[in-house]
Amino acid sequence: MKERYFTTFELLLLSLFSALIVVAKIALRFPITLSGHSGVFWMAIVIVGAGVVRKRGATSVIGVTSGLIAAFLGMGDFGALNTFVSYTMVGIGTDLALFLLRDPTSLVAAPLAAAIGHLAKLMFKWFFGVLTGTPVGFIALGLARAVLGYVVFGALGGLLGALTLRALERAGFFSYVAEKR
Amino acid sequence: MTDLKRVLLGFLILLALVAGLLGADAMRRHAARPSGEGELPPGSIPVTLNGVRMVYLTPDEMVSLEQVSFVDEEEGKTQEGWLLRDVLREILVDDGLEDDCTLTVSSSSRGKAAELTWAEVRDEANMVMFDLSGRGTVKLVSMLERLDTREEWVQDVDNIEVVCP
Repeated sequence: MKERYFTTFELLLLSLFSALIVVAKIALRFPITLSGHSGVFWMAIVIVGAGVVRKRGATSVIGVTSGLIAAFLGMGDFGALNTFVSYTMVGIGTDLALFLLRDPTSLVAAPLAAAIGHLAKLMFKWFFGVLTGTPVGFIALGLARAVLGYVVFGALGGLLGALTLRALERAGFFSYVAEKR
Repeated sequence: MTDLKRVLLGFLILLALVAGLLGADAMRRHAARPSGEGELPPGSIPVTLNGVRMVYLTPDEMVSLEQVSFVDEEEGKTQEGWLLRDVLREILVDDGLEDDCTLTVSSSSRGKAAELTWAEVRDEANMVMFDLSGRGTVKLVSMLERLDTREEWVQDVDNIEVVCP
């Protein structure tokens, strides 16, 4: 019998991370209104997911699953399709970045991968806006500010994720999980 | 490939993505620029009073105004921006706006519109305001019962019509 790429255990873990993203998005509130600030916890969870399930496509699975959950919960300002693809793009973008950068526990590679993954979401939103005929931005620097916010908060999230992975490694989490498998 | 080369390549990709996105947006803004005299900033919002175009709303009118905010009940997010009342007073200098004047704030790209009376807009408790979206367009939000959810709000506003009897 052909072996599956992701084991059931890994898919379960990835689903839990996906659910955690949606729960965090609903429950956690930062007292700042800058664009992309949710990237701090969002990308932290994605990077932790990439570190716990070290296979290509892991963060894409997180993206698709969290996108489905968020779309069915009616989250986002621009409809279910926009929500689903936005969440998915975060996963795919991070996956592609990690394909190059490899190590999600690196304190340089992880923030960089997370910034790219988070920016992929903003890029999709921009393209979606163009496709649907959204008017040109009212404020010229609006998009520049949003880009800066997405990159900075995404990178912070990546850093937080890498630190979490290192802490999990020190605590023996990965040996424990390997034994349970 | 060494780790250093990978990280450098990653930085270059990030910079290329940022430059590509900002460049594409700048080109779009440039293409939207009117060629006639009296050029207006792309994205400015026309305001008509009784069918006559009075003025265009530009960021210059908004920056001097006091910003307000509220936390929406639907998702608990902070909506921050400028009261529509203050914006209209700034650009129309509050001339002849009575409580029964109606305002229609619409978005052609979204096919959405919200109709409000001046009395509703004037009441600060209703928080009828413009919030700036991530991509720089404005969104009409409020705490009015019939206009307090994302479904009811008007995103990507591109027209304001005022009709006074």
